[in-house]
Amino acid sequence: MSIKDSSFVRDRIISGISLTRRTIVDWRNWDRAAVARIAGIIVVAAVAVGLRLWGLNQLGYNTDEAVYAGQGAAIARAPILKDIFPVFRAHPLLFQFLLALTFAFGVSDLAGRLVAVVIGLAAVYMTYRVGKLLYGVKAGLLAGLFFALMPYHVVVSRQVLLDGPLVFCTTLVLFFLARYAMTNRSAWLYLTGVAMGLTFLAKETGIILLGAIYAFLALSREIPVRIKDLAISMALMALMIAPFPISLLLAGGTRSGQNYLVWQLFRRPNHTWDFYPSTVPTAIGLLVILVAILGLWYLRHEKSWRERLLLAWIIVPTVFFQIWPTKGFQYLLPIAPAIAVLAGRAISRWSPKDLFIRGKQIPIIWIKTAIVAVTAISLFVSSVQLITPSTTGTFIAGTGGVPGGREAGEWVKENIPEGSTLMTIGPSMANILQFYGHRRAYGLSVSPNPLRRNPSYPPILNPDMQIRSGDIQYVVWDSYSAERSSFFSDGVLRYAKRYHGRVIHTQSVTVELADGTEIEKPVIVIYEVRP
Amino acid sequence: MKYLRKFSSILTVLVISLMFSSTVVRADMPSQTTTPNTPIEHFLVLMQENHTFDNYFGTYPGAEGFPEGTCIPVDPFDASNTECVEPFHIGDRPIEDLDHSDSTFNLQYNKGKMNGFVYALNQRNQNGALAMGYYDDRDLPYYWNLADEYVLFDHFFSSDHGGSFANHMFWVSGQQGGSRVSSEGYPDILTIFDRLEERGISWKFYVQNYDPGINYRTADQISGNRASQVIWVPVLNIARFLDDPELSSHIVDLTEYYKDLENGTLPAVAYIAPSGASEHPPGSIRSGQKFVRSLIQALMRSDSWESSAFLVTYDDWGGWYDHIVPPQVDEHGYGMRVPAFMVSAYARRGHIDNTVLDFTSVMKFIEENWNIEPLAERDANANSFMSAFDFTQPPREAVLIPFERVVVEQKIEPRRIVIYLAYGGALILAAMMFAWTAKGADIRKQSLAYINRLTHPRDREPAP
Repeated sequence: MSIKDSSFVRDRIISGISLTRRTIVDWRNWDRAAVARIAGIIVVAAVAVGLRLWGLNQLGYNTDEAVYAGQGAAIARAPILKDIFPVFRAHPLLFQFLLALTFAFGVSDLAGRLVAVVIGLAAVYMTYRVGKLLYGVKAGLLAGLFFALMPYHVVVSRQVLLDGPLVFCTTLVLFFLARYAMTNRSAWLYLTGVAMGLTFLAKETGIILLGAIYAFLALSREIPVRIKDLAISMALMALMIAPFPISLLLAGGTRSGQNYLVWQLFRRPNHTWDFYPSTVPTAIGLLVILVAILGLWYLRHEKSWRERLLLAWIIVPTVFFQIWPTKGFQYLLPIAPAIAVLAGRAISRWSPKDLFIRGKQIPIIWIKTAIVAVTAISLFVSSVQLITPSTTGTFIAGTGGVPGGREAGEWVKENIPEGSTLMTIGPSMANILQFYGHRRAYGLSVSPNPLRRNPSYPPILNPDMQIRSGDIQYVVWDSYSAERSSFFSDGVLRYAKRYHGRVIHTQSVTVELADGTEIEKPVIVIYEVRP
Repeated sequence: MKYLRKFSSILTVLVISLMFSSTVVRADMPSQTTTPNTPIEHFLVLMQENHTFDNYFGTYPGAEGFPEGTCIPVDPFDASNTECVEPFHIGDRPIEDLDHSDSTFNLQYNKGKMNGFVYALNQRNQNGALAMGYYDDRDLPYYWNLADEYVLFDHFFSSDHGGSFANHMFWVSGQQGGSRVSSEGYPDILTIFDRLEERGISWKFYVQNYDPGINYRTADQISGNRASQVIWVPVLNIARFLDDPELSSHIVDLTEYYKDLENGTLPAVAYIAPSGASEHPPGSIRSGQKFVRSLIQALMRSDSWESSAFLVTYDDWGGWYDHIVPPQVDEHGYGMRVPAFMVSAYARRGHIDNTVLDFTSVMKFIEENWNIEPLAERDANANSFMSAFDFTQPPREAVLIPFERVVVEQKIEPRRIVIYLAYGGALILAAMMFAWTAKGADIRKQSLAYINRLTHPRDREPAP
């Protein structure tokens, strides 16, 4: 579709709109474009649903999922879990609140993940809507397709993480802001404020996008913004954010929030500067990024506020989180829909003359189809690889569940007396065992120095004394934590040996060796200790 | 050859006689099976030291604790002296080993008036008022938590007026035997362990920090508190338990208790004697609780939990006040009430048992559970612990009882309704705003506007 074919475009859209009613009556009168659009939506929806549901609950929760689900269970007053997991921890509680509504019918890891998947699918839909709004149906469908297949979003939206709801809310903001830019109607700016408020409630780091909005509006003089509308929008955002401080103040969690904020502000960097450059591009898809960049170059003559909006949406968070010392795999997820839209735009709007190879004309539609197919297949393959459980016995934080963690936790629940306390190498395994095992667990690696630890995690001040006096009855070693900290791994094993540690359970997973043979690798070992 | 034939005839007669007599003895016994009559296959009893029921549980809700207005006269024999001492919380006040001899008992008991507690200690140049001190859940959080969850006995008496030795003797034999360790030992005392051994029922005496070299023969050569092992382990006063390797092999260090639990070799009957953590004043009662917790936790974590009962009691009153007049069943006792509580998968939940019990009730339960003949008049007439159990229910799951007292009212619960209202309200408000805006937007008009902008991208540029 060329931008110059205005009459064609207009006719298509108008006929599409007017045909919508007729299609129900007589399918033979369907417009081909409408059929293609519906087929496209079905394809995007199918891959989005398929990739997000396939083997969804093969592995149990990882540590972050266990924490958020635990909070949800605590809000829902789930027995035992409400005493183990505090309601207030670090972040606002919008997602945990939604989980609590689900957990009111019983706590289940699958239910929690299904909530995340539904929100993830909503984010795919919003990406399609943003693409469609900015560049038409084809661009929207392509953006939706790329985003539906994108490993970055596929992996995160299958997990009980705050970043899934965050990216849905930020895409909502993007959509409303684009609507405002397009219509100049104040109501859309107000909705932008409302959606920004929801973004904050999903995860407070989303507030960074205020910078993107500011940059976009400041650089787009053609989009007039009345101070009054801006003030109302900000007021609405503040109103939407209000549940966070209100619940902290009135529900008794002020201290938790303040402690966490202080810790986040002064904590040491957790990754090196090249963390994002080395992880995020492959998670988004190198071809998607390449197509988006080429699109920006080849379609530079179309330079408009649309690209400015999308680029602001990408650059501001990227720069901020690159500078910010605390880094997390999922933090840059809000930029992914904008990149997908740019990629969709590039393919849908790129219209060179047909190519000739050895005198033979190759229609441009073939080339475009090939680009879409290659990009989509590469994304699909990457996603499938990422969501397939690891067979090496190792895993990357934030990329999925922990093999054997759920099973070990369930064993703990069935076989260790209620009221028992476990010591793990670090807080990650402690969280998992607490969620599935319904028993308290503390990480040995949690620093007793309040400046050096996440305030959500209580330290073990004197492990010897606590084991000797019977406060800790079990010691847990796991290969994942041991890989990250051999020092604390040795520490846990030393305590097990010193206090008559007796192996009472070994959780193994099947791993594949380099030669292809499969072996059972012990990943979690539970010791009973006594004075 | 003639002598050989004669010898073989005599031997045959002897063997037949022995077999016959053995059959007769077995026929007299109620049952020869080692299978218990209840689901309790392992009965464990720990004897701590020197506290009364009122001293530990005098303020426990629902138990028979301090009567209202209790005030014990400083001198009950001087009617003109109206000074008296009320029960008070000891807290962190320093305490001492209060005198708990026979004569102090008699003065404190005062012919059943139970008003000589302060006076008797003052007579011993001790601070008599200290007898009126008590502990509560601030000091005994673990024991109070156990009482909340399992069975507390509030009519459990020491068996003898006197101190540790006599009461420990009653504990194993149902009779006093003597009042102190004798260099001659007590060879004639028959114990419950003799009965168990006869019947082939497994038993062990677990001793914390056990030193096999300390017994009645060597006690006077041992300096310091280590010699008390002979008091806490009465069988170390009986020669056969020292000289017979089979019998002495049952007296073992406490570490074997943990190994037996791990290996599933816990005996049917186990007596446990503490060493440093006996709570004997002025020892730390917190250390005592930790010691008891380690024993009970180990049991709860083992496979034996569902078939066990664990009784904790105290050997004598230690000079502390108790208000219940002890029944006098013979010239030796009962002595004052002592704390006692039982933990078991079959124990009634939060039950306060009023049955009159004493240390011979331990033997009584063993005798009832394994069909063993009583050893003495005391255990024959004693009440058992049967009322503490509910065998009609399936065994309770093990729950490790917290060491600190958690009072439900004091625990600050976050007000979840605020979360539901605030976040739910935000979502509803957002949905309403969106619905309102979407309704106001004319989709068709906007689509056309969109097309116009798409076809005339420069329209929005500001005028130069």
